[in-house]
Amino acid sequence: MSLSDYLLGMLGLYGPPALFCVLLVGAIGVPTPGSLLLLVAGSFVEQGEMGLWPVLALGFAGSVVGDQVGYALGRWGGRRLSARLSRWVGGEQRLRSAEDWLKRRQGGAIFLSRWLLSPLGSVVNITAGLTGYPWPRFLLYDLLGEALWVTLYVLLGRFFSDRVEEVSEMLGDFTWAFAGLLLAALLGWSLLRNLRAPSAEELKAGRGGAVADETS
Amino acid sequence: MRKLGWQQWLVLTLFLAALIVAGLFGVRGVRHALYWSTHRDVPIRAWMPVPYIAHSYRVPPHVLYQALGISPAHPHDKRPLRVIARDQNRPVEEIISLLQETIARERASGPPPPAPRARPSEGGTPP
Repeated sequence: MSLSDYLLGMLGLYGPPALFCVLLVGAIGVPTPGSLLLLVAGSFVEQGEMGLWPVLALGFAGSVVGDQVGYALGRWGGRRLSARLSRWVGGEQRLRSAEDWLKRRQGGAIFLSRWLLSPLGSVVNITAGLTGYPWPRFLLYDLLGEALWVTLYVLLGRFFSDRVEEVSEMLGDFTWAFAGLLLAALLGWSLLRNLRAPSAEELKAGRGGAVADETS
Repeated sequence: MRKLGWQQWLVLTLFLAALIVAGLFGVRGVRHALYWSTHRDVPIRAWMPVPYIAHSYRVPPHVLYQALGISPAHPHDKRPLRVIARDQNRPVEEIISLLQETIARERASGPPPPAPRARPSEGGTPP
């Protein structure tokens, strides 16, 4: 029996408190089928076996609390990892510039990884803590994203209440398709920018020309 | 045209790989969506409680409870099939077969289930 089947069985038996626990540990990084559980919970709501508000409230609370734990782990437990990583990537300076870039871009990443790219959520939590992303802003994006994720998936579960596993598989496919497109867009943009930038020879020639102009 | 260095080749390869992955998952997602928009009956799994199966197959829950020798109570018995099988000292596969037979019998004897949102089930396995 798979972990997924076991957790789905627990959800049927214990209801929203089980959902709270599973989403909490999933947000910390334990691989759990959070999206599938939300869909199944939505199906149970449709069947009248669970109340809508307890499912939404405990699902939301579990994921938000878990995200804060993940952030705290990165922030206060990640110093040693950070030091090791800085040696690995080639020095403190390079890590600092990566952190600066993340700080500028991370708001969108936090929001999107809550609901659209949810498999990346736990990694983003730890990275946000590790890079010292301001906690009030992390919390704001987290609350918005998790509210959207929990509501969207529970409502989808209600609508497709008789075939949630199949819908979950389909949504998983679209999530990875979107992640692939996003990565392709980032790589394509980076490649184009790189190709448009002047090469080392062009720069040298340009500088040589400027020196020649100054001396003449 | 400017000559590509090894780093640009690497980024270009990763770019194409990401596009291929996106395309494969996209096509698979669309195929799943098309299949499940016209098919209803999902496979019965060990995690499912009886009310969920009854809901999926559009049969009254009490029929399935009776087949399993459980008195239909309110609120419903929400144990997953795996736990029911363990409590009754039976393999879960036997419970699943019993439920499948009961559903087939119920559908054959009773009025047809309400029309689905799309075409009725045509059987077969998902893509």
